[in-house]
Amino acid sequence: MPAKQDDGGWKKFVWDSDKGELLGRTGSSWFKIIAFYVVFYGCLAGIFIGTIQALLLTLSNYKPTWQDRVAPPGLSHTPRSDKAEVAFDMKDQETYLPYTKALRDFMTKYDEKWQADKMKFEDCGEEAVEYKNRGDLESDVGIRKACRFSRSWLGPCSGLDDPDFGFKEGKPCFIVKLNRIVNFRPKPPTSNESIPDEAQPKVQPNVIPIFCTNRREEDAGKVGEVKYFGIGGGFPMQYYPYYGKLLHPHYLQPLVALQFANLTMNTELRIECKVYGDNIDYSDKDRYQGRFDLKLTITNL
Amino acid sequence: MGYGRSDSYRVATTQDKDKSPKKKKGGKDMDELKKEVPITEHKMSIEEVCRKFQTDCVQGLTNAKAAEYLIRDGPNALTPPPTTPEWVKFCRQLFGGFSVLLWTGAILCFLAYAIQAATEDDPAGDNLYLGIVLTAVVVITGCFSYFQEAKSSKIMESFKNMVPQQALVIREGEKVQINAEEVVGGDLVEVKGGDRIPADIRVVSAHGCKVDNSSLTGESEPQSRSPDNTHDNPLETRNVAFFSTNCVEGTARGIVICTGDRTVMGRIATLTSGLETGKTPIAKEIEHFIHIITGVAVFLGVTFFILAIVLGYSWLEAVIFLIGIIVANVPEGLLATVTVCLTLTAKRMAKKNCLVKNLEAVETLGSTSTICSDKTGTLTQNRMTVAHMWFDNQIHEADTTEDQSGASFDKSSVTWLSLARVAGLCNRAQFKAGQDALPILKRDVAGDASESALLKCIELCCGSVRANRDRNKKVAEIPFNSTNKYQLSIHETEDTNDNRYLLVMKGAPERILDCCSTIMVQGKEQPMDEELKESFQNAYMELGGLGERVLGFCHTMLAEDQYPKGFAFDTDDVNFQTDQLCFIGLMSMIDPPRAAVPDAVGKCRSAGIKVIMVTGDHPITAKAIAKGVGIISEGNETVEDIAARLNIPVSQVNPRDAKACVIHGTDLKDLSQDQMDDILRNHTEIVFARTSPQQKLIIVEGCQRLGAIVAVTGDGVNDSPALKKADIGVAMGISGSDVSKQAADMILLDDNFASIVTGVEEGRLIFDNLKKSIAYTLTSNIPEITPFLLFICANIPLPLGTITILCIDLGTDMVPAISLAYETAESDIMKRQPRNPFRDKLVNERLISIAYGQIGMIQAVAGFFAYFVILAENGFLPSRLVGIRLNWDDRSVNDLEDSYGQQWTYEQRKIVEFTCHTAFFVSIVVVQWADVIICKTRRNSVFQQGMRNKILIFGLFEETALAAFLSYCPGMDVALRMYPLKPSWWFCAFPYSFLIFVYDEVRKLLLRRNPGGWVERETYY
Repeated sequence: MPAKQDDGGWKKFVWDSDKGELLGRTGSSWFKIIAFYVVFYGCLAGIFIGTIQALLLTLSNYKPTWQDRVAPPGLSHTPRSDKAEVAFDMKDQETYLPYTKALRDFMTKYDEKWQADKMKFEDCGEEAVEYKNRGDLESDVGIRKACRFSRSWLGPCSGLDDPDFGFKEGKPCFIVKLNRIVNFRPKPPTSNESIPDEAQPKVQPNVIPIFCTNRREEDAGKVGEVKYFGIGGGFPMQYYPYYGKLLHPHYLQPLVALQFANLTMNTELRIECKVYGDNIDYSDKDRYQGRFDLKLTITNL
Repeated sequence: MGYGRSDSYRVATTQDKDKSPKKKKGGKDMDELKKEVPITEHKMSIEEVCRKFQTDCVQGLTNAKAAEYLIRDGPNALTPPPTTPEWVKFCRQLFGGFSVLLWTGAILCFLAYAIQAATEDDPAGDNLYLGIVLTAVVVITGCFSYFQEAKSSKIMESFKNMVPQQALVIREGEKVQINAEEVVGGDLVEVKGGDRIPADIRVVSAHGCKVDNSSLTGESEPQSRSPDNTHDNPLETRNVAFFSTNCVEGTARGIVICTGDRTVMGRIATLTSGLETGKTPIAKEIEHFIHIITGVAVFLGVTFFILAIVLGYSWLEAVIFLIGIIVANVPEGLLATVTVCLTLTAKRMAKKNCLVKNLEAVETLGSTSTICSDKTGTLTQNRMTVAHMWFDNQIHEADTTEDQSGASFDKSSVTWLSLARVAGLCNRAQFKAGQDALPILKRDVAGDASESALLKCIELCCGSVRANRDRNKKVAEIPFNSTNKYQLSIHETEDTNDNRYLLVMKGAPERILDCCSTIMVQGKEQPMDEELKESFQNAYMELGGLGERVLGFCHTMLAEDQYPKGFAFDTDDVNFQTDQLCFIGLMSMIDPPRAAVPDAVGKCRSAGIKVIMVTGDHPITAKAIAKGVGIISEGNETVEDIAARLNIPVSQVNPRDAKACVIHGTDLKDLSQDQMDDILRNHTEIVFARTSPQQKLIIVEGCQRLGAIVAVTGDGVNDSPALKKADIGVAMGISGSDVSKQAADMILLDDNFASIVTGVEEGRLIFDNLKKSIAYTLTSNIPEITPFLLFICANIPLPLGTITILCIDLGTDMVPAISLAYETAESDIMKRQPRNPFRDKLVNERLISIAYGQIGMIQAVAGFFAYFVILAENGFLPSRLVGIRLNWDDRSVNDLEDSYGQQWTYEQRKIVEFTCHTAFFVSIVVVQWADVIICKTRRNSVFQQGMRNKILIFGLFEETALAAFLSYCPGMDVALRMYPLKPSWWFCAFPYSFLIFVYDEVRKLLLRRNPGGWVERETYY
């Protein structure tokens, strides 16, 4: 019985024909409240947009207000790893196709044909040299030229000769880049203290060296030879500083290609790559800041 | 007690004659108990009773028989009301009311986590943490309120009288003192003055025995007991004395007819504990609130579920979102806030001597629209006091106030001195020893109630009665008996030269008048003429009409020649004159109202609360007291009054003309439900007299049927069923019986009816303030939900995380929300009508509209502004954010580009995201400053209300300090993922905070300017 009454009450609430009420309100009442909310939210949206505009006015077009969270730069690699793992079977193309595809896609940005325009690009040499100053960030010089970066400098990892980037032979290539930060000038290491002995030969002027090694003690000797391709086997200074998207739209960041030429097969290897520099830091929590970790498993069975 | 009652009294009692033992319907099992008492023994002869119980009215039961009966009937004790085990009480706190909502939320969280854990490799722990926190909140709040109520019940337990009762029984002809529990039916028991009656007994013999039935019937006068059956109704007849009433004086012997739960008292107690009580008004309000909140949550959840499906999310993701949105709508902190607010009020009330047994009952008094009050002991002092005197042909008023501040009269009159002498001498009452330090009115007296009243009155006016008695040695005395209807004593005079004896007498006025031939006027004896007789009659009628018990006084000096010194007065075979006396005057007594009651009743009236008197006492007395305390206000007439004024029969008066009415219990039982409703609806001032406990219950049910929220005040056992049934039962802490205290929800520790007014005030205030608290707490729900909604719809990085939401709900919002409980009233809350439980809800759509639709939206916008500021200043302009979510939350993407072309690792951008959460959180704190200030008032401007609420100011500082602590304390980045903010980011929300304040002040201004206008109809909560 009560349930039935409730039912009736519910129906009456939805549409009360006596009073002409829909959901407890008459037409004009609905109109008024809806009109009120339309006006209210209209005004609120207006105020919000106003404050956002005010915010945008305070921002610089060239450089974000704060860079303390983005610097020091991260070190990222292509192909990306899922949970820092890269595993493939060198006999099964299916397993490494996603990686080679990612590499191909990434490398097309560095194709010669894009770098032809002399108004946009200039040659900065194949040797590592000093920072290339292109005027103050805020100065009214307009769009700055970008240094060319040739894929061929990456040797077997350029993808020009080997569309499989060595994956087929079990000698996979990884392209590494130092994340872009507006107006950031990485400083090559000045002291040798923090650099492991094996990496000492890589230290040279005007280059941020990169060095990969086994992360775990037990993997010692299993990683084998790592080949470094690119200017000076690291990140050369002449590509810095970066002037931002607006002033430096064609900027190509320098790349380093790593090729693991003699990996031990059928075991999971943990490899850590690190860049060294005076203003490059590492963080316990951020595994991509100035370094990265890679779990690499190649099977050939 | 026969003498000194006006005729109307007798009329009143005889009306009860046809009170049939069967009556009224009632609920299922309670049917039987709601019926009147089925005792028949009083109609049997003593022999028949003896035969029935196989006992002997001289020798008593044999021990063997007694043992057999004890096994058959069980001990003579009331079955204690089924005590709920502690764990059940605890569970009730844990799963009752508001907690259900949180439990549902917690379960949904665990469900969502389970789904995530089953489908994802690395599930986010948010849902798990949220579920755990929700569970913790419920458990902690549950423990808190459990201990709070346990504290109250501990105070309750201290009331319990632990002394085991003893009874004097005669078994096998020997008197033995046994435990009252061992008394069985058929036992011959003996009681004397001061004893508690051990069971319902049929009196076999009595000597001046009087019992105080006030806790059972509400009659304030002790009733005499004798072996004769005087009435068909067992409650009215003289030959039955009832379990747990007190024998005031005299001795009696009787046969036990009922024991334990079968006694009249036991039946009432069983009826009481068997009554189902409904939900408290606040519980209903919270239920309604849960419905609204659930409605909003489910609506939002389903809407966005559909949206999520449309946007191309997978089913599973959409379900997780659905649960997330529903859970986000749960105001986690509200349960704790409401509990703390109620506790604070309960504490405040306890300070004012209102002990609240059940936290939820705190508010009930505030919603009360009808108070049914018992008379004896609640409205009155339950202490006979001399109210009026008639001498020198004039009615004089005596002082009946508790503090003796009332009017006085000329005390030098010779007539008065004579009257005082008679009243003092012809009086067997005396003060109990060792009370000299106490004020006279507070002292205990041994003796009859009316004699005590006289004793106190004379002691107050004329000094020590004992000294007077010592000076006038008593030589002979005839105690009161119902045939004579007078009491007489003969004294030596204090003048040692005067050898005459003084004869003093008091008794029923008409009986005394018959003995007199002269009357003292202005100190001189005058012959009694017709004119004086008529004047006496008028005074007698007038005082009787006031519901007072009238006594006449006379004296004479016995002639020395007839009664020389040493004359042997024989009181059995009267050998002296008992007529031709000199009439002195009348004194009338009443159980006067407590001093604070009229004022309290007046306040209740102005607060729109209907005060109904429900008493077991006689209509005349009830009406007199009702008029005295303002329950029947001046100028309002009953049907009978109108009939008397117009000199027409009662039947010709239109009942609609009379606002007041006095209804007799016998009439009440003949009324149909409709007639009853009619009376309750159409009379504003009602007195129910001669009501039985069952009828009190029916009256309360009647009021509740009409939609009233009923408070019942009472102290006697007879009130307890009504106390239990009422929405809130208020028992008296000092004079109240244990049963009534058990049944009540609230106890007035000082027995002061005026405390009820405090209770009403506090109850109304907390209702208003809870509204404000809820409005405040709910508002921040919107800035907590919208980030998640936008996260789903616009695919932006999550602006506010679960942890920060909990920090708001259980951290920064708590103290300000509680501080609103300390807010003072905006207007005189005692001048407005009680809230209508059907219309005035705790949480209504207007509150939701304001909190969710308006203020909450402004807050959300403020939070988003802070969010966009931080992301933009770090390089992610708003335009870049839309659609970024998938990459943003992808751990493998460590070169995500911002608007400036910079590349961010996962961890770097997450830190920015968590900084945004912190900033959003801080922004909510900032806008909540404005919100708590606007929530202080619902109608007035803050400038009218002022900022005198110190707790609230403390709350503002506390929440700010807490927010700063959470943001800047080292280690918070690990513990709560909150990061330090740049100082400028604190100011993002300031303009919005100001906007909220201005917007609401304008709204309230419009509200005050156009009462009843659109703004009020749509936004006044």
